Amino acid sequence: MDILIDSLFSALLLVFSLDREMLAIIKVSLQVSCASTVIAALVGVPTGFFIALRRFPGKHLVITVLNTLLALPTVVIGLVVYAFVSRRGILGPLDLLYTQEAIIIGQIILIIPLVSALTIAAISKIDDRYRRTAMTLGANRVQTAKVILFEARFGITAAIVAAFGRVISEVGIAMMLGGNIQGFTRTMTTAMALEYDKGAFSLAVALGIVLMTLSFGMNILFHFFQGKYRT
Amino acid sequence: MKVYAIHNLTKSYNDQPILDIDHLELEAGRIYGLLGPNGAGKTTLLNILGFLDQPTSGHLDFLGKAVRFQERDLQPLRKEVVVLDQYPVLFTNSVYRNLEFGLKIRKVEGAEREHIIDEVLELVDMASFKHAPAHTLSGGETQRIALARALALSPKVFLCDEPTASVDIENQAAIIALLKQINETKKITIVFTTHDRLLAAGLAHHTLVLNKGRLVSTSYENTFPCKIEHTNDKQVHCHLPGNTWILLSSTQAGSAAGTSRLFIDPERIELYAGEKISGAGHCLQGKVVQLMEESARVRTVVDVGFLLTVLLKREKYNSLRPGIGDTVAVSIAEDAVILSN
Repeated sequence: MDILIDSLFSALLLVFSLDREMLAIIKVSLQVSCASTVIAALVGVPTGFFIALRRFPGKHLVITVLNTLLALPTVVIGLVVYAFVSRRGILGPLDLLYTQEAIIIGQIILIIPLVSALTIAAISKIDDRYRRTAMTLGANRVQTAKVILFEARFGITAAIVAAFGRVISEVGIAMMLGGNIQGFTRTMTTAMALEYDKGAFSLAVALGIVLMTLSFGMNILFHFFQGKYRT
Repeated sequence: MKVYAIHNLTKSYNDQPILDIDHLELEAGRIYGLLGPNGAGKTTLLNILGFLDQPTSGHLDFLGKAVRFQERDLQPLRKEVVVLDQYPVLFTNSVYRNLEFGLKIRKVEGAEREHIIDEVLELVDMASFKHAPAHTLSGGETQRIALARALALSPKVFLCDEPTASVDIENQAAIIALLKQINETKKITIVFTTHDRLLAAGLAHHTLVLNKGRLVSTSYENTFPCKIEHTNDKQVHCHLPGNTWILLSSTQAGSAAGTSRLFIDPERIELYAGEKISGAGHCLQGKVVQLMEESARVRTVVDVGFLLTVLLKREKYNSLRPGIGDTVAVSIAEDAVILSN
């Protein structure tokens, strides 16, 4: 019990003193997580939108595959991407292994199914009357799609927030493809794993506090905006 | 001028026929009430007229031109026709943004847009809600804003699906008055669906009745479930609600058996003051429970075990002067009774 209280006390000191090492780790984490979330959103939201609104053969199969990919272990993605970006892999000449770019690629693969599947769910929930209303008011297909997208904005934002939460807290991809290089590819989760191995809990707990605060803050912000449009 | 002309139009879902109209023409500037029971095809017809749905077969002319049910051809037509849903939805931003939506699509300039929005909000008596969040409005207010959103576009045709079904009495009266007003002042053709015969009679210039997807010349009134019983003496008893029955000829009954539906033409029922009369046709006795003036006729509802509507010509009413609670007798002409499966 003492170790936990001591660690917590030291961690709070680190957080409030804005420890340079801790800030560097947070910066790397935010950089890779934000980049992968933005790219995955740019790919996943239109993909989900298309799948939700279009009728095509094999639609249910595609949705089933996407839902299955939600459970894909991060280490499997790490392994597959490693095979591509390692020196002997197809992308070996690009020298991506143990870079932030490699982590971003892995994380994008991890969360595209999540963003797509949650976008499909968000779009499917939108009452068909919005589509019909836009059409009867003279909207063309693009304008109608924009209306649906607007009405599904909270669901889609939730999908992106969930995706961000998934990547900022994952450890497998960051460890396997980033290599946990200090100041370069060391993220909050890989740093926490390392500090745990070393038996030094202060930084690990401090990063844990930051991680939780980040997640909490994003959810508060999301619910605040969502609440404004609830009756 | 004809706004719509329909020829041999059908609509099916999963090979089930929903709509089958041989011929229908709607004149510009008129109000049409589309009556019929649930599942009669009213909303389907409205959606086809609003170019939101396409028929399975047949022809539809709009303003004298054949409609090609292809998306790129339909979108310009939708700018002339607006469908108002039974339970309309407003986009989840401000009332102003809702009203602005269709105007922006039509590339109406900013100042003109503002002017139109102010005008239609005044018209529906919702000017103070201009910047209100649309999702905070009540059902009646939503209906009125949806009406204003449609009116802002000055459509040639306004199609309303049960315009008063989801609002309270106060809003119902406001919406009916509005529909009348815009028809008179802006000459907008209005087609509305309803279950409410009184609303149809009071608002519409013409009433159309749909039953099982077909336009029927008969009124929607006086349609009752009945049970057919063939007796040993080759008579056919038609049991109606309220332990009432009438005798049908074997020609009328045809091969009908079991449960069926009976229609009694309200214009072919004679009303007599006092006790039972003897005469041709089916005679029933009952009490007057409702009277309502309706253009050149008086709608008289008689409780004969079930509520039977009789449409009396004004002269006939004046000679009889039936009052609420009076005992009367009705005589139904034999050919006023139609049995349908």
